[in-house]
Amino acid sequence: MPKCKINGKEVDVPQGTTIIEAFKASGQEIAHYCWHPGLSVAGVCRLCMVQIEGQPKLQIACNTEVKEGMVINNNSETVKDTVRWGLDFHLINHPLDCPICDQAGECGLQEQYMQFGKYDPEMAEHKVKKCKVVDLGPTVVLDSERCILCSRCVRFTDEVSKTHELGIFERGDRSEIGTFDGKPLNNKYSLNTVDICPVGALTSKDFRFRQRVWYLKEHNTICTGCSTGCNVKVYYNEEGCWRVKPRYNPDINGYWMCDEGRDIYKFINKKNRLQEITMTEKGVSKVFQAEELLPQLGLELKNAVQKNPESVALILTGQYSCEEYQSLLNLMVKSWGLKNVFHWVNHPESMEQFDGLLLRGDKNPNTKGLLNELDLLSLTQTWKDLEEKLHRNLIKHLIVAGPENLATFSDVKEKLKLFSSANKLIWLSAGIFEGVSSVCSQVVQIPTKTFFEKEGSYINHKGMKQRVTPGVEIVKSALSLCEFVEGLHHDNKGAHFQDMDSALVDTKLKEPLKENFFTATRGSL
Amino acid sequence: MSVVKNPGSASKWYLPGITIGLVSTFSTMIKNLFGRNKMITLNYPEEKYEYGPRFKGNHILTVKKDGSLRCTACMLCATNCPAQCIKIHAAEHNDPTVEKYPISYEIDILRCVFCGYCEEACPVDAIRMGPEWQTPALSGSNFTYDIRYLAYRPNLKGGIQSRLDDEERHKVGI
Repeated sequence: MPKCKINGKEVDVPQGTTIIEAFKASGQEIAHYCWHPGLSVAGVCRLCMVQIEGQPKLQIACNTEVKEGMVINNNSETVKDTVRWGLDFHLINHPLDCPICDQAGECGLQEQYMQFGKYDPEMAEHKVKKCKVVDLGPTVVLDSERCILCSRCVRFTDEVSKTHELGIFERGDRSEIGTFDGKPLNNKYSLNTVDICPVGALTSKDFRFRQRVWYLKEHNTICTGCSTGCNVKVYYNEEGCWRVKPRYNPDINGYWMCDEGRDIYKFINKKNRLQEITMTEKGVSKVFQAEELLPQLGLELKNAVQKNPESVALILTGQYSCEEYQSLLNLMVKSWGLKNVFHWVNHPESMEQFDGLLLRGDKNPNTKGLLNELDLLSLTQTWKDLEEKLHRNLIKHLIVAGPENLATFSDVKEKLKLFSSANKLIWLSAGIFEGVSSVCSQVVQIPTKTFFEKEGSYINHKGMKQRVTPGVEIVKSALSLCEFVEGLHHDNKGAHFQDMDSALVDTKLKEPLKENFFTATRGSL
Repeated sequence: MSVVKNPGSASKWYLPGITIGLVSTFSTMIKNLFGRNKMITLNYPEEKYEYGPRFKGNHILTVKKDGSLRCTACMLCATNCPAQCIKIHAAEHNDPTVEKYPISYEIDILRCVFCGYCEEACPVDAIRMGPEWQTPALSGSNFTYDIRYLAYRPNLKGGIQSRLDDEERHKVGI
């Protein structure tokens, strides 16, 4: 355990730690571009210069290991001057694009310039012009002029995705990032290169020019795209959600996430969501308030179960939180005595697949949580039993806690065909699926809250329980399953139960719903 | 705060005050009758007052030499706007040297406070405050100005050209 002194502060670090890691560990600031904690050391940007006592020249902090008794500083005038000049050299060919650059506002170059910059450039030469819009692949666009050749993206494709698509071509000030002929940047993790790009050279096609980053707020949550449960940030403003970026979690996703998971913001947005509680009877749809419909529906279902438990069935998907499963099963199985509970598996053939990095074949965030709850109540009926019962017309009432993310459910159409032998379908889903309303003679569609709007916990494939907290309200009449259950056994007509605590949600951890900063000041989401 | 003044004894003598007032009225009337060009009032709306060139009236979006919009949709004006009256939707241009341009640029003129911050924030001289200010309309919907109005309204005669030019900038090596 070598001990060293950083800017006069004693720091104790494990053997083999580099100076830049020691700086981070001691919470001190140091300029750097090319170094990234998740990648190997390149040492090309020459910005993390430090002075070590006893050594005649400055050293780069990212590639120098801490030795016992080192006395390091980066606040002497020599270091400051070196960083200032290093930054000025980076800016020699960097265009003054900030107003139209997507990275502006979260750009390493802007931030470090404000902090360490040399405010009067001494370069009189013309800037070297390169290609502005280079199509690297289906997801990423490159602007060669803006690139400062830190090589982070090249190292990412070499070390993390191991697809080796990117490289640095040419020499000197003509060097450029590029791909080999006929081999575009096309892997399942390609958008991570956009995240780690410290300047605006790599931009995501999906997000390019759609919003300025300073209009966005972020909310920490987890990705519900598959059972890995990567930690992510969702960026939103008053017009909706715009992008998803990974958040560091050493136990689950490290610094990365897959490209598929970055699409999860799309199904949260209002235009893709079910808006109202509707009941469709013989082709005529009617909009209801939760307070008027649910108590009556609860009474009807309760009577049906108590009359003949075989005539009612509950179908659950792995898309909801543990608390929601608990409250739904508590009501229907424990207090009503329902026996028909089934698990809808969307990708039975690829459930166990894993690509070696993050992506899993199980496209549900909480399959493990659902199976745990079903095991606790020893509900062991399989999908085959349901099919048989539906074919024999035993089931009259069907409650389906359906998909939240419809994109991961390719079999909805055939499943709906199967459900059509029931008399009444209660369809809970966040998204809109054409033709649900005409499946049975009576269909109740209830919009549900997505992971972005509710509180709950999800258990990932490893068995790790992770909590999500509500971000903002997007669909006003959407209910979580807990609120749906509250409504079903609510006899006090007219009272608003949406804000009620479910007994199962841990009240200590429950945060008050944040007011959307944007809708509070102007407009609506 | 209201100030109460007690009427003094002088105010009881109202006749001298009225006489002074009438003298002023008649002398102005006679002056205006015989020297009409020195009259300080205007016959609005037939006659209109010309403000100075720095007057901050309705916005103008400038155009390039080829007549297309100079605006690069950087949204600095919208960010800087204290009344939040500017709404821009950006899109990718087919020409890679242009890159970003606005497909819609709307100013809600009823919210605008004519502070001129948009003009100051613009890095490319794309928005200016023009001289016009008398722009009434019959319906409320006419007060959201779009690109067609802001850049190409008839009295701009095909658009005002921006001082800054991309090609010149590239030649200089910026």
